[in-house]
Amino acid sequence: MGTASLRPSVGAFSTVRARLLLWVLGVTIPIYAGALYMSRVATAARLEAGAERDADELAAKLAAEMDTVIRLIEGGIRTVAFQLEEIDPPPTQYEQRIRGILAAWPDVYGSTIAVEVSSDGASAGPFAPYYFRQGGAIGFSDLAKASYAYREQPWYRRAVDGGKPVWSAPYFDKGGGETWMVTYSVPFFRKLSDGRRALAGVVTADLDLAWVRKAAAGAPLGPFAAGWLSSPPGTESFVAPIGATADGSGEGSATVRAAGEAMLARRATFGMLPAGVAAEPAYLAVRNLETLQWRAMLLVPRAQLLAEANELLRRQLAWGALGLALLLAAVLLVAAGIARPLHALAEAVSNAGGDDLSFRLPERTRRDEIGVLTEALRRLRDSLQDHIRLRAASLAEQARLKHELEIAASIQQAMLPKRASAGDLPGAEVAAALLPAREVGGDLYDYFAVRDEQLLFAVGDVSDKGIPAALFMARLSALLRVLGAEGQLPDRLLERINERLAEGNEACMFVTIGCGVLDLRTGRIRYASAGHELPLLLDLEGGVRTLAAENGVAIGIDAVADYRLGESFVAPGDTLVLYTDGVTEAEAADGSLFGAERLAELLRDARDEAPAPLVQRIVDTVTAHAGGFHATDDITVMAMRFAPADVEYGRAEGAARWLVQVDVSAAGIERALQRVRGVLAARAVGADRIHDVELVGEELLTNVVRAAADASGRRLSLECALSRDEIVLTVRDDGPAFNPLELERVDLDAHISERRVGGLGVHIVKELATRCGYARAEGWNVLEVRLSREHAA
Amino acid sequence: MSLKITVSKSTPPTVKLAGRLDTNTAPELDRELDEILAGGTLEQLVFDCAELDYLSSAGIRCFIRARKAVEPGGGKVALVHPKPAVRKVLEIVKAMPGGIFTSTAELDAYLDDIQRQVRDES
Repeated sequence: MGTASLRPSVGAFSTVRARLLLWVLGVTIPIYAGALYMSRVATAARLEAGAERDADELAAKLAAEMDTVIRLIEGGIRTVAFQLEEIDPPPTQYEQRIRGILAAWPDVYGSTIAVEVSSDGASAGPFAPYYFRQGGAIGFSDLAKASYAYREQPWYRRAVDGGKPVWSAPYFDKGGGETWMVTYSVPFFRKLSDGRRALAGVVTADLDLAWVRKAAAGAPLGPFAAGWLSSPPGTESFVAPIGATADGSGEGSATVRAAGEAMLARRATFGMLPAGVAAEPAYLAVRNLETLQWRAMLLVPRAQLLAEANELLRRQLAWGALGLALLLAAVLLVAAGIARPLHALAEAVSNAGGDDLSFRLPERTRRDEIGVLTEALRRLRDSLQDHIRLRAASLAEQARLKHELEIAASIQQAMLPKRASAGDLPGAEVAAALLPAREVGGDLYDYFAVRDEQLLFAVGDVSDKGIPAALFMARLSALLRVLGAEGQLPDRLLERINERLAEGNEACMFVTIGCGVLDLRTGRIRYASAGHELPLLLDLEGGVRTLAAENGVAIGIDAVADYRLGESFVAPGDTLVLYTDGVTEAEAADGSLFGAERLAELLRDARDEAPAPLVQRIVDTVTAHAGGFHATDDITVMAMRFAPADVEYGRAEGAARWLVQVDVSAAGIERALQRVRGVLAARAVGADRIHDVELVGEELLTNVVRAAADASGRRLSLECALSRDEIVLTVRDDGPAFNPLELERVDLDAHISERRVGGLGVHIVKELATRCGYARAEGWNVLEVRLSREHAA
Repeated sequence: MSLKITVSKSTPPTVKLAGRLDTNTAPELDRELDEILAGGTLEQLVFDCAELDYLSSAGIRCFIRARKAVEPGGGKVALVHPKPAVRKVLEIVKAMPGGIFTSTAELDAYLDDIQRQVRDES
């Protein structure tokens, strides 16, 4: 495994440095931007307020300047009007008075006293002398010319109609002064004798507005870029540029002033001009001067007004950027201080892989958290290395143990008898299987021939499992072999094995074992059991029963144990099945045990199976029952079928049949009869009846043997068939045709001196049989004798 | 399993049989009987069959041969203590009519009776 593939990949934005940077900037920049924004808003507000104040000041100043002229003239003209009313001088004196006005107020361009024409008035005809400045002198013009009709002029009419002094709107005096003027008209009255006052005329003063221009031009603009003093709307517009403002008669100023009027209409005094009114965004301050309702309008482009704010912002931005840069540098410095050792640690740890944990850690000990982490990693590495060393040792130990166990298992398997070949065990077919739950187990089976055609067989089960059980089993196996070969019968054999195994059995292990000896000549089984499951016997007919035996205590528990020998017979074709509790106690997923009853059922079903397939079938069925779960106990099965070479067995027509090949000799007869005796004993035929059958068999066989002059090449057999009620003996021989049943009957009542010695055999046969028959078939003499199964008393 | 023959030369001479008397073992008994009978005429011969398990026609031939040798001379062959199976075979072939006894006392009484008859005749 390459170390490169183990190295953790860290994304560019995942590093501690990057994230620290992002977080610091992410927090700092909004705060800074917010501060800048608020500062700018505050500055702008301050500048706007300043502009408003300046506009107020300027407007007040203009108003004051206008008032100094306007109020003076108002007072003067009204005084003249008052004098005219009080004194009521004759019109001839009017010239003097007008000239006085012109002399008194240099700003007055011209003046007239126009009289009202009335019946009770001072003048019966129009009279309105007008004196005005003409160069350095005073000019005269008679306004009473019929063509002028002064009484119809607005300056006269408005004063008369209102009955009080009135200012005219500004107008350009064409053909007269050739200048912008306003006219102040004051009506004057005459007291009548009845106390009423009657209109006598109107005194006027024409005010040249040149001084207004001068005053406006002289006023400082302050922060403003342009300003205009203008007459109220609805009049001929007179506009005086304020300060250094270019002549404001242009179109631009007209739209600006219209916007200002709109602001006044909604009582606004300061605000942004609507878009499109000015070339650039601009503020407009508007003031109504009260005097003559004139307006002062002051314009300042936004950029200009806020220039200071912008400059401040620029400087703040510059300093802020510098600050941020410093902050950034500081963060990078700190982050590097954290990240570099961390990175070094990560690099070192990443290089470690698999079982190689020999990575180098920085030696220099820091006093911060990274130092603590490094130290912790060092301890972790050291303890992991220790752990790995231990684990490797433990694995090696395990492998060694496993290897040893495998060897032990093969040794244990070698202790079991090899599958018997026909030559090894004439007379019996044996098959067995042992499935240890672990590598080695405590189950045991064994079988071997002992002297005198005896076959010793055993199945045992050591308590516990695994190695202790296997060792105990090995001792048991050795004892069984050694003591069994001495020819001990099972009861004594088990007693002696118990003596040896109970001695010094500190581990308190015990073993259940069943052990038997099968006599291969007769089928007699002598069996003893030390607490083991009793074997099942599957007979040729398919019946299953438990082998009759008496169970004793398990081996290894008591120092002295006593076992009883049970005796029973098996017929050729019968199969004895021995097993351990691993079979009957095999547990299915639902908890149900396999059980002896299921095993018996299986055997009934498999009555014709030979031992090897039978064992395989049992093992398969049991493991299938356990559902493939690993067996919790060793499973051992042994099947032993009694199958002597000289006996053929089978079933036909509801009867089991055994065909014994008989050697044509006295010894052959005895041996054949032994077989038949064993068969009948195995099928629980009564001893008396067995005796009868044996007698019949002997008589018949003896006849054949005695008649055979030359035994060589003669074939002879004895068949025993067993049905529910009957025993049928059939003797076949291939000698010359001969029916012994037709022999001359012996006179049993003859005197002894007369009596024949022989010929009694056939008589005995006929007496015992329920029926006899002879047939010659295909070169064979076939003699059949039937006996009832029950013995007739 | 075989036959065990014990011959007692007491009075009366007794042949004790144990085991199986069949085709296989009958020749042994024949040989013993030949020896016994060769010693001269016997008045009495007793077969003790208390331990005889099996008897076939071959054995019965031995008994009949003994009878043929003893009885024509006025002697008597008797058989005592037969097991039921053995007795049954003997009866089937009427091998020892009147010569089978179940107890020694019965046998002794019978033998005494025989002796008396012989004495009276002589």
